[in-house]
Amino acid sequence: MDTVEVLQVDRKEAMLQPEALQLRTEGRDEQQERRLSESEDGNNPFSFTPQIIRLHKDHELFEDGDIHRHMYLQDLYISEAEDKPALSVSEFACHISGCSAVFSALEEYEHHYNALHRHVCCSCRRSLPSARLLDIHIQEWHDSLFTILAQKQDMYQCLVEGCGQTFRTNKHRKDHLIRIHKYPPDFRFDKTKKERGRRETKRKEQKDAAMEVVDDVCESEGVCEVMCNSPSDEPEGGESMETHECEEKASAEDVLAAAQDTESTAPRKPQYSYRIPNTVCFGHGSVRGFRGRRGRRK
Amino acid sequence: MWRLNKVRHKAGQQGGNLDELRLKRRENERALRQARRDRQLVSKRLLLNEDEEQPDVSMDTAPGGHDIVSLLHKLQHSGTEKEAHLKALSKVLRDPSAQLTFIKHENSMHLLVGLLTGSNAQCRLQAVRCLHELSHSSHTNVAPACLPATPYLLTYLSGPSTKFTELCLYTLGNMCPDSDVVREKLLAQGIIPALASCIENQRHTLAVVEAAAFTLSQLLQARDAPEKIIPIVLKSTLPSHLLSVLTPDPQFGLAPAIECAWCLHYLICSTDDNKELLAQGALSQCSSLLVSLGGAVTEGNKEDGIELLIWPLLRCVGNILSSCPEEDLNAQLTDAHLPASLCALVQAYLHTLPALARETVWVLNNLTAHSTEFCSALLTLNLVPGLIQLLPFSQGINTMILRILANIAHKKKEFCVQLMQLGLLSALCATLKMADQEMVIQSLDILFMMTVSSPVVAEEFVRQDGLSLLEVLQYNGAAEMRQRSTYLLEKHLLSYQQHITVDNMPDP
Repeated sequence: MDTVEVLQVDRKEAMLQPEALQLRTEGRDEQQERRLSESEDGNNPFSFTPQIIRLHKDHELFEDGDIHRHMYLQDLYISEAEDKPALSVSEFACHISGCSAVFSALEEYEHHYNALHRHVCCSCRRSLPSARLLDIHIQEWHDSLFTILAQKQDMYQCLVEGCGQTFRTNKHRKDHLIRIHKYPPDFRFDKTKKERGRRETKRKEQKDAAMEVVDDVCESEGVCEVMCNSPSDEPEGGESMETHECEEKASAEDVLAAAQDTESTAPRKPQYSYRIPNTVCFGHGSVRGFRGRRGRRK
Repeated sequence: MWRLNKVRHKAGQQGGNLDELRLKRRENERALRQARRDRQLVSKRLLLNEDEEQPDVSMDTAPGGHDIVSLLHKLQHSGTEKEAHLKALSKVLRDPSAQLTFIKHENSMHLLVGLLTGSNAQCRLQAVRCLHELSHSSHTNVAPACLPATPYLLTYLSGPSTKFTELCLYTLGNMCPDSDVVREKLLAQGIIPALASCIENQRHTLAVVEAAAFTLSQLLQARDAPEKIIPIVLKSTLPSHLLSVLTPDPQFGLAPAIECAWCLHYLICSTDDNKELLAQGALSQCSSLLVSLGGAVTEGNKEDGIELLIWPLLRCVGNILSSCPEEDLNAQLTDAHLPASLCALVQAYLHTLPALARETVWVLNNLTAHSTEFCSALLTLNLVPGLIQLLPFSQGINTMILRILANIAHKKKEFCVQLMQLGLLSALCATLKMADQEMVIQSLDILFMMTVSSPVVAEEFVRQDGLSLLEVLQYNGAAEMRQRSTYLLEKHLLSYQQHITVDNMPDP
């Protein structure tokens, strides 16, 4: 049997005989009271009402039963089904616009979400694999105080949890990671800000021009497109980390300026708008990841 | 059930031919599905001779015009061997090309009708056998050629001979789908009253009842049936007779009940207003029967072909509910076990016949849509957890289940709290992540009703980390999802957020 489309007992296609919700004037339930006040709110998008669904003789829902019946009439009936009809199970999908990932099990979905969408930097929308790395990222990339302090002190923390060592520059830390902790020289989570490049500014302009669904919200490819590479917000979706190159260099000021620009010029999100504002973030870890910006959203 | 037994027997015997049989069945099924899509789904029944095991089309002698012509000649001129020739003719007429030759031959039908109405009873039997073979033809121009015989066939329906009557009935039933002209003539000749009195008078001859109901079902499936046939049937005594035979006879088997149930289904789904049938007790009878069948199935008494009876009964109940005003529901549905039986049927057939399970949950939706009593019953009888467990299953099952749960939530705020206690919120946290948009939107609808109903529910949802799910949906591509999740968050849920701080936020 085909997929979900075969069943057309949905709002649009069934022969529905909607029976209007009858609000009796006496003995109104509190439930009904509340619903009445809700429905008077013109903005309320919820419209469910219980409905008796009538199905005519040739409805698609009746196909299998009719076939069964006619097989019997034509002497083709067999009591034990030979091929067991496949019972389908619903898939799960990441609902974040631009992420087209689909999963057959809930655990896979959770894993995907935790890996890609949970620890997302509010400012630059990069996805980090853990809360700690997110914290470090924000500190090193988006905290101007850090930049100032880093000129005088060892501010760059070792990325390995529990190590605790700090370094004057990014490069020193990288050397440490490679020598002491045996990290690969091209570790993804430790690129410098400079390597982000102009691509980011260009993309932000495109984004503002885009009208509807913005698809630069996340990477659908692996966890790695993080501290180094710019978020892949080409309309086609993420680039794989193998092919992404961070060649263009921009000055740190350019980058900072770009980031600031975005934050100040982002339009306040109107009610039920359909553009994803640049400064809005989400995710379970958003409180931690976004340093309490949730309250700001309103 | 004589027909089913035969098929099983056949399948068991041919060991090597089993694959062929399977292939043939699959091809046939495909053809039937296509025919249904083209609204051309038609089946005919062939009543086999007593000595026949299975329809045997391959002939020992080469069939052809030669045989027909010579047999017809013999029939015209012989005296005492007419019966033998007729028997031979009926065997030859099993072949499709012979059928065409027969009807093209001048006077052939006239001759046959003469023998059908003659004084020799045995000849009459063989003549009707010939007509029966002809009626089974897949060529649509064969049936009209048999029209001269129909007034007599109809007259014979009230005759005493069971076998003869059966043959007449199946012949008429086979002829019905083939053309408008045939049906028009049959209606004018009074086939409806004839069928009605046949069933009434021969109620205890179940083979005849089965045949008559089959013939009626052929009429009722016609494309012009709603305008031309069904009104007449509804005015006749047929509906009450059909209802009276609905309960299967344990010895004879399910077959007559199956035919009657399908007739009732065609009647009910073709008319918007079924008040008449309601008044005759259709809803209570069909639902009572469903309850007993459901009980049998749960106990493991899955008699062969029982789903052939369950299927039309479900449809009868499902559709007739739309004609039943809410006030009368309790009076009409006397069997309080219906909800439980329906849930049992879903579980029983979920893996073997998912389409049947799907129709069963459709009936449950119609039952609960406007009835607080039935919604309450689902809760008190503890049927809701079983329904929640069905939420992973797609192809229309889970969307319908959500409808049922929404029906319940819609009725009373106490129901919402109970649903929450039964674990619906955590189930919704999963369904909100499904790929199927319909599932997500319906989940949001239920969530709205539940959170609006009581702060307890809203708090619990927030505690289960539902806010982040809604936030994700705010960035979905579909406006319907964005609107709903945003509305829910901003109007109802964010006020609960104050209670959640960084410290007591559950760890990912």
